[in-house]
Amino acid sequence: MLHKLLSGLSPTEEDEVLALGAHLTLPSGGSLFRLGDAADRLFLIERGRIRLSFPMLVRGQQEDVLFEEQGSGETVGWSAMVPPYRFTLSATAPLETELIALPREALTAFCEREPEIGRRISLNLAILVGQRLQLVQAMWMREIQRAVELRSQHATAAR
Amino acid sequence: MDMLLMGLCFTFIGLAFTAMAFAAATRPEAQRPEEQPEQVVLKPAPARFFSEHLTAPAPGPAPIQIPIEALLLQIENHVRLEQAAAESFVACPTHAQLHSKTTSQFVN
Repeated sequence: MLHKLLSGLSPTEEDEVLALGAHLTLPSGGSLFRLGDAADRLFLIERGRIRLSFPMLVRGQQEDVLFEEQGSGETVGWSAMVPPYRFTLSATAPLETELIALPREALTAFCEREPEIGRRISLNLAILVGQRLQLVQAMWMREIQRAVELRSQHATAAR
Repeated sequence: MDMLLMGLCFTFIGLAFTAMAFAAATRPEAQRPEEQPEQVVLKPAPARFFSEHLTAPAPGPAPIQIPIEALLLQIENHVRLEQAAAESFVACPTHAQLHSKTTSQFVN
């Protein structure tokens, strides 16, 4: 299994990092974490899918709305590496899913001992966070653009 | 004589009532100086240019409320489409990619 977070590491280095974690199997519909929970582990998806969602008020009742889905090789829960270490989305498994849970403390301690591996992992994490930022930025710009167009249409209709 | 006396009595009673009514009418101004006459403050009228037209619901048929499950599916589909559009933009950032129209039912 090729994990994006461990991209660029040798198979031995990869094994060393994976040995820090614990295998976890979520049943279909199982919850991995909830928005606001303390984030002390990040998760590498071995098999299956993780659905990331956020709460939205729909007709007065709270509903979990999909934000994105991640599959094998992807990393979820990187809030564990970013202060204030709280999850900002909720994660569930739409089908049985296997993951490796990497505790933050063990990972950071390992990266301090092995700075070259730490640099590689930090770079991969930066890519992960940067890609998410670019994606969200584009989605946000599109929504704003739509809001501007809607407003212009209303103004034209009111004339 | 009796009639004359009665007339005089009624005249005095009438005068007394008139005097009392006059005194009652003039007393508030003369005897209650602490009460200020009510001042009419002219407030500027709120701006209402076309506001009724803007706030009034648009005429026409009421919007059809779809079941919440269908609405949630629409939202989910919208998010997927928007994510795909955003990924295309990130892969090749152009104005056209950023402002490409969506087929999402949620916003159309």
